[in-house]
Amino acid sequence: MVSDSGKRPPLSSATLHILLALAGGDLHGYGIIQEVARNSDGHYKLGPGTLYDNLKKLMDAGWVADAPAQRRKSAKEDDRRFYTLTKKGRDTLATEVDRLQSVISEAKFRLQIARPGKA
Amino acid sequence: MKRILSRLAYRFLLRLHPASFQHDFGDEMLWIFDEQPGGAAYLLFDGAISLLRQRCRLLNDPGQLSITSGVVITDPGMGPLRLFQGGLSSTAILACFLLLLGHRNPLSPSVRWPKQMASCTLKLQSIANIDVDCRTTP
Repeated sequence: MVSDSGKRPPLSSATLHILLALAGGDLHGYGIIQEVARNSDGHYKLGPGTLYDNLKKLMDAGWVADAPAQRRKSAKEDDRRFYTLTKKGRDTLATEVDRLQSVISEAKFRLQIARPGKA
Repeated sequence: MKRILSRLAYRFLLRLHPASFQHDFGDEMLWIFDEQPGGAAYLLFDGAISLLRQRCRLLNDPGQLSITSGVVITDPGMGPLRLFQGGLSSTAILACFLLLLGHRNPLSPSVRWPKQMASCTLKLQSIANIDVDCRTTP
């Protein structure tokens, strides 16, 4: 499960949200923005500038790639670029989720200790 | 009208992005701008931040690989002409922002006298004591 990025710093919010959105399936740019808004209940708003800035970095890193043309759903979407999560990207996301899980476990444990009457 | 102006400003912002970035994502960014129903000011701000990030990245790596075409597109760099263009465009974008936000010309007087206020008397008693007496006529 652990990828080559074992000592990599935590992912930024935008990167994490984009990878999470693409983990559900191939999406075009506007689809990613909508999926991120849906996943965060509208709390995290991603603009096109932030999106493509991050997508470029993710594509350079090999975590995201252009989706093959046959995966596109309709003729209307043919001229849109779709993006897909690569194996490397999925591994990175899994590593980040594991890291976040350990942070949450630690936080819950500490809060339980700090709670009066439960120590 | 506001939407057309903000679209023009956004297109202008996109044209200031590095060539490789523009080539790969420019059309899509404009498409998303058209798809989003409101929040033009936010999109313009987001575009400006993106421009700043891309330009800063370009300073470290002048030849950027275009993902779609697979060729390295080298930007001409920031010469005096580019700096002049940047200054001009920043002023234009700022003017558009102010227009979008509904600001008035900051040089025009901000105080408007009511129409009923017919006469105002200014009594200068001393430097520190100015008495303004305004009377409305029926």
